[in-house]
Amino acid sequence: MSIPLLQVENLVKDFNGFRAVDHVSFVIPKGCIIGLLGPNGAGKTTTIHMLLGITTPTAGRIVYFGREFTANRQACLQRINFASSYNTLQGRISVWENLVVYGHLYGLRRPEDKIRRLAEYFGVIPLLHRRYWDLSTGQRTRVNLIKALLNDPEIILMDEPTAALDPDIADKTLSLIEEIRSTAGVSILYTSHRMAEVTRICDEVIFLDRGRIFAQDTPIGLTKRIRSAQLRLTIEGDRGTVASFLTERAQSHRFTQDHMVVIDTMEERIPELIFGLSERGVWITDIEVQKPTLEDVFLKIARGEADA
Amino acid sequence: MRERLRAVLLQELYITRRSLEIIVDLFYTSLITVVVFGFVSGFLTGVLNPNTGSYLILGMLLWDVIRVNQYSVTVGSLWNIWSHNLSNMFVTPLSLVEYITAHIFSGLLKTAVIFGMISAIAAAWFHFEIWRVGVLNLALFFANLTIFAWAVGLVLLGIVFMIGTRIQALAWGAVFLFQPLTAAFFPLGVLPPAVRAVAYGIPPTWVFEAARRALDEPAVDWTSAAIAFGENLVYLGVGVWAFSLMWARSRDSGQFARNDA
Repeated sequence: MSIPLLQVENLVKDFNGFRAVDHVSFVIPKGCIIGLLGPNGAGKTTTIHMLLGITTPTAGRIVYFGREFTANRQACLQRINFASSYNTLQGRISVWENLVVYGHLYGLRRPEDKIRRLAEYFGVIPLLHRRYWDLSTGQRTRVNLIKALLNDPEIILMDEPTAALDPDIADKTLSLIEEIRSTAGVSILYTSHRMAEVTRICDEVIFLDRGRIFAQDTPIGLTKRIRSAQLRLTIEGDRGTVASFLTERAQSHRFTQDHMVVIDTMEERIPELIFGLSERGVWITDIEVQKPTLEDVFLKIARGEADA
Repeated sequence: MRERLRAVLLQELYITRRSLEIIVDLFYTSLITVVVFGFVSGFLTGVLNPNTGSYLILGMLLWDVIRVNQYSVTVGSLWNIWSHNLSNMFVTPLSLVEYITAHIFSGLLKTAVIFGMISAIAAAWFHFEIWRVGVLNLALFFANLTIFAWAVGLVLLGIVFMIGTRIQALAWGAVFLFQPLTAAFFPLGVLPPAVRAVAYGIPPTWVFEAARRALDEPAVDWTSAAIAFGENLVYLGVGVWAFSLMWARSRDSGQFARNDA
């Protein structure tokens, strides 16, 4: 069995008596994108900061590539990288100068060729000699991704890398992340508030709530945990028959139009409702089932309504 | 390690080249100060003891060794905090020792350039030759003032790491507390006795006193040099210890990561 690239065991962080991260454990296998989700204050960023060594854990173990992080900080950091919308590069100097500095920080003696190659790939050649502060948010994100790839990392920790981007640039950034994963086989720990992008790129999702792992599963697996669904039926027939049928079965419902009813129900009751209405002579001309999204899971967790 | 030191030094060079603030804080301020002190010194030499004016300009030249070295150690990191870039640098294999070493080296280079520039101006325009104090003396003064600046710089950097930018003014302002206490521009005897007792516990006091004596007699005052060096070892030891504590505290409290947020 191959060693996981990152193994986190019982990670704890206390700030003046407040427990921000509470016995968090997970592993990141090679080539996987793991999403770290949760409402504000859930402990995502604190976890990332501990994984990067800029915040000291109160307890627990962080093991990269089979080696203890605290005892092998430099060796581990040489093989990982970080991208965040909250951290920027040095604003006063040019993109090129920033990337040269980071190239040397990662021990590259001549980083220039690599910077040019990556700049070409990310389409930022015309920006190289512009001051970093003068770039747009989207341009900065691309430059930050170049910085994050300078050392050919095996793991990249990404803290809300698309937080400040408009949907178009965020979509392009996600495509780039997907491409990085498929071409370089990089593992990624990805925090975000945007459920759609997590569903799109993550193999597995860890939900944090008040510092604890609340749920951990694939995005589809998580949505299956919410068994409620919304059934929209377009009908031809007596509206009163439909209403009495649903009321008898204690189904919450509302008519949005004369011939359209929306029913909040459980997934497993959908066949029973459709067949029951048909048996009462209601002609169903269209059926639409809306299943919960990751967003719904997130909201239920945030509101304290979901089961682990 | 060499590549990482090179990286921080390169960054320092790039930032210095592109920051009017650094040019004003270091080069421009030193230039204007030496010109003002040169004229005042000339005026005082005409009306008072000939050495009175020299004390002023000598004190100014040597004080800049402290100011520029300390500024580089402390304010160098603020440029990265203001750019939300400091924690980015510390998630690379860069170690704290490498980072500080690079800033110390950068400070030494800046100090050498600025000290050379203002000494040349003092000599050319105001007929004050810093070499009058003797080459060996000058080297000892420079070394002792530099070590003191590192100690103060490290403590102030630790405070910035631990508390954040809300106390950033200390990074360039706090060192001036030592200007009157160390009798940089006047004989120590001018200070009230109680303050004088405190002054003896600060290494630059011994340097400034020895430097003033060296204007008349350039023989090395080994006793003053040794006392200053001994005190400096204590200051540097305390500085490193305090910095280590504050660095650990800033990572423990999460302030180090928040400094960039």
